Amino acid sequence: MTTKCSHARCAFSAGCRVCVLGLVQSFSHYSAVGQRLGVSLPQAREKGQLVFLEGLRGSLDVLLQDGPIPDTAQPLGFLRSPVPELRGLFEFVQSSLSSTEEEVAAWGPPVLIVDDLSVLLSLGVSPGAVLDFMHYCRVAVCSRMQGNMVTLVHNEEEELGDEDSELLLRSLTHQSSLTLQVQGLATGYCRDIHGQMELRWRGGSQGRPGRDQVKLFQYKVQDKGVSFFARGTSSAVL
Amino acid sequence: MLVEIIQGSEGGGLVVIKDSAECDGRSLLKGFIKAAVLRNEPVHVLGFEVSEDELCTGLDSGPASRLVFHDGYSDPLQWLGQGKLSVQDYSAQNMRNRISQSDDPKVVTLVIDSLSWLLLHTPPTAVCQSLQELSRGGLKVKRVVALLHSDLHEQGVVGSVCHMATAVVTVTPVSGSVSAEAEPNGIVRTLLRRKTGRVSREEECYSVREDFSVQILRDLSTRKQPAPDSRGETKQDDPAANLTFNLRLSEDERRARENLSLPFTFSEEKKSSLLQPRSGGGRILYEPDASDDFDQEDPDDDLDI
Repeated sequence: MTTKCSHARCAFSAGCRVCVLGLVQSFSHYSAVGQRLGVSLPQAREKGQLVFLEGLRGSLDVLLQDGPIPDTAQPLGFLRSPVPELRGLFEFVQSSLSSTEEEVAAWGPPVLIVDDLSVLLSLGVSPGAVLDFMHYCRVAVCSRMQGNMVTLVHNEEEELGDEDSELLLRSLTHQSSLTLQVQGLATGYCRDIHGQMELRWRGGSQGRPGRDQVKLFQYKVQDKGVSFFARGTSSAVL
Repeated sequence: MLVEIIQGSEGGGLVVIKDSAECDGRSLLKGFIKAAVLRNEPVHVLGFEVSEDELCTGLDSGPASRLVFHDGYSDPLQWLGQGKLSVQDYSAQNMRNRISQSDDPKVVTLVIDSLSWLLLHTPPTAVCQSLQELSRGGLKVKRVVALLHSDLHEQGVVGSVCHMATAVVTVTPVSGSVSAEAEPNGIVRTLLRRKTGRVSREEECYSVREDFSVQILRDLSTRKQPAPDSRGETKQDDPAANLTFNLRLSEDERRARENLSLPFTFSEEKKSSLLQPRSGGGRILYEPDASDDFDQEDPDDDLDI
């Protein structure tokens, strides 16, 4: 959560337009976290710099009400479909981030943040449909608008044998230029080190040859951000 | 062997490049494309996974302009109604028709990026059938080179596709450095089914340069030199080096150790000391009692002969 808000903060300070698909938390939650990081999400939304999809509220509108789906909840129409397809969600992303030439001059390249993709699998969307959605977002946001995408996928332990989740994760690893794998410490709970993060820059991404570059950091979540350090250099140890 | 396959002297028909999430195979695929273009062969790319710009990045403007890109990336499912190549359009006949639309009379090299995308949207049987028809040769298509992400499919599907291939090139990651010239991209295991029926296997360490030419850094097939692993050592280190205590022996200590006889070794001295009688020591006095005097021929001791 804090990492995603940090991404958003960097995007806002660079003057980029941001679209957040908040499928697991409400806007007020992100707003509270953003405030601690020094970013005012309500202000950005009013300015038009931030477009936020309220997934939780919208899903209630789709699932609990009879009759036609209201316009605000159209992107979540797949919840009613027997064979869910995320075309509506993609059209929402495309319309949110598409800009006229003046807007392109005003804003930098757009950023799409998806939180998160694993919940779509839990809602009955097949991994193929999720991958198709991500493909179209990549075409629109990365290739056409020269923007960036950040997405979260949960990776359960391998013993649980969730094939859909593993397929989704591996496919996205193939397509991503940077993968951040966050996990707890192998040694268990530590008060001063909350976990470790493996950064993998994919070799061959952006069309250039090369092999994967891997770096490992440990991190501590603080009140107003996250601090990263090399393994063994935590303030508790030194 | 990889270089021969890239140059086209071996492995006509279908060449499958298998990669995984840990090691990217697209750089090698671009190596194939570049080599074909430099031989003045027309190259047609069915691009589903990356855009034309990304595919042509790093290729010189000359090779890039001789490449025909069939755009299956922008709108593969017809969501945008742009009339580009879609997944439903994929079949051997349609592909041949598309290739024939180009005026070039030469036979082409067809590159598929990637087969995984097709397998996720089309039944594997249809994909295998189309590959078989396309790679059979003649009718404009000289060779098919396809990229396959082996960790996205079941083993059976990957096996079926590779079974049809003339050459299977599997890339795996490597860590550590192999040569001073270049950083290796990975280890490539090549399987080649020759026309004679013989199957050759080779394992090489390769590197892809900035201009996408492929260089073999080391041949690992003979296993004379071990592949570099994450420990990064190819020769034995002296374990007694760099210690805070001394594990080595001086000459005197070494000689004393060699001269020492171990307690249970049966040497000449020990043998002679046992055989020689020693006065006062080691005498055994034996007085048999009644139960010890056991006569085998008269066990009850009642014969009076």
